[in-house]
Amino acid sequence: MKKSRSKIRRWLTASNVFAVMIAIIALLPLLWMVDTSFKPPLAVGQFPPSLFPHPFTMANYDSAFGPNNFQRFILNSAVVSLASTLCVLLFGSMAGYSLGRLPMRGRIGILVVLLMISVFPEIAVISPLYLLMRDLGWLDSYQALIVPYTAFNLPFAIWILRNYFLTIPKEMEEVGRIDGASGWRILFQIIMPQAAPGLFVAGTFTFTACWTELLMAISFDSSMSFRTIPVGIALFGSQFTVPYGTLFAASTVAILPVAILVLVFRRSVVSGLTQGAVKG
Amino acid sequence: MRALNLRTKTVSLGGHRPLKVQLARQGWVFSAPAFFIIAGITIFPILFSVFMSLSHISLTYSGFKFQWAGMSNYSLVWSNSLFQYALGFTIIYTLVTVTVELILGMGVALVLHKLTSGRGFLLAVLLLPWALITAISAEMWSFIYNGVYGVLNAIVMGLGLAGHPVIWLGTPMLAIASTMVADIWKTTPFVAIILFAGLQMISSEVFEAASIDGAGAWQAFWRITLPLLKPTLLVALLFRTLQAFGVFDLPFVLTGGGPGHATESLAILSYQVLFEDLSFGPGAAIATSTTLIVMAVAFVFLRVFRVQVGDSESST
Repeated sequence: MKKSRSKIRRWLTASNVFAVMIAIIALLPLLWMVDTSFKPPLAVGQFPPSLFPHPFTMANYDSAFGPNNFQRFILNSAVVSLASTLCVLLFGSMAGYSLGRLPMRGRIGILVVLLMISVFPEIAVISPLYLLMRDLGWLDSYQALIVPYTAFNLPFAIWILRNYFLTIPKEMEEVGRIDGASGWRILFQIIMPQAAPGLFVAGTFTFTACWTELLMAISFDSSMSFRTIPVGIALFGSQFTVPYGTLFAASTVAILPVAILVLVFRRSVVSGLTQGAVKG
Repeated sequence: MRALNLRTKTVSLGGHRPLKVQLARQGWVFSAPAFFIIAGITIFPILFSVFMSLSHISLTYSGFKFQWAGMSNYSLVWSNSLFQYALGFTIIYTLVTVTVELILGMGVALVLHKLTSGRGFLLAVLLLPWALITAISAEMWSFIYNGVYGVLNAIVMGLGLAGHPVIWLGTPMLAIASTMVADIWKTTPFVAIILFAGLQMISSEVFEAASIDGAGAWQAFWRITLPLLKPTLLVALLFRTLQAFGVFDLPFVLTGGGPGHATESLAILSYQVLFEDLSFGPGAAIATSTTLIVMAVAFVFLRVFRVQVGDSESST
């Protein structure tokens, strides 16, 4: 078997065959959704369903990004996710650097508390946060999500960034210190540029988490003008009819930013998942 | 995988005491914004939620009024059949999905490990379900499961497995199973990637030595791969268990907790009691109970984990 001349034969090892099967199972439901988004609205409810869109149409996209205003939800998601990611990276690297490099007392205790916080179920804080947002007059605003998203993603980001800061040679800081650079300059001009891979990992994870979050978004920001994409999807349609064509057109567009981000930073994501596993 | 190095050396500038104090102060200044936000948005609300669960909360014109209620919210909640069902459902849901995801994830990780070409491509494909918005995943599956025009019925009937359309989300048992399948589809890749990373850390020499000693593939898996992978497996197990116990998005969008209350998890029940019934005391009692169970599970896991690490060290 090993010396079979046929190239196909050599390629057909068990692991390659399984790999193709796994890829098909992972992709098929997604492809079916994208495929459906190009079908004429009437063909979406047809049984048995047709394999390909016939005729191919953009009608669902016109409906999602016209009367159904999904562009607004995407804008809201983008504002909230980008702002939260920036806050997490800024505050996370300041804290991660301190916990990794500066001689603070009780660092290990703080790191353990951060770990514990990151496993708490979101539902535990929803009701008090709702009352807090209500008292602050923040319900239906961007900050109602940016602030909690920043808080919930900081612990993981601090851990990831601290791990990266630990790998940067100490000499670089010391040279800066001897030259009389301030602590801020040492962090932002000497240390941060070295930790770019860590910033990518923490940034990709935070952005993905914010882009997909539903529970807080539906609790604090369910009005039409502040809905994020997950809320817009969850509350679309009525109990009896779901216009799947429109929904899938919106979904296909909503998937793109995160899909591109994850594919571009594939290595970062895999290493982040691995570190996430280590920190548990 | 980077080893967790908790001990870091302090800056060594000839043991300058004032500098050390100065740097420590700087550390607190740098950390202050992060600690302030985390404390304000996570630690304080968790404590406040415990307080709410011990209060009678009534809505008046001047806002919410809190009155001490002792354990009455808890006894109300724990004796309620909806809570008991949601607790049972959440436990079974967690047990089944996590077990299946670990078994399938192990298989996928082994395939990734063995793969000689196209590994990057498969990893990229696996990241897509993981990064997908769960609400979208739920709508996608509800379309596939649809009893009138769903593609699953077309497949099942085309293969002659059923003579008439199946209402997948219409009966409790089928709806529970269908929800679990959708969860397994989305989350197995996450488990697989973690386990794959664990496999990559095992030295290839270990496997070579095994095959030289004449170990078969099956034997090598049980005797070598699995024991060496145990720490990674336990971490994946812990992480997934805690996550699955707080499940909200998928059943909320896919079935709305139905039919009836068949797929109502603790998080969904708590959300409904809080925001639909506006019963803040009992809602907080459900949320706090969920948190306590999650913490207890984490504690037991860490205990068992430590014991097992000790065992494997003493046996080798």
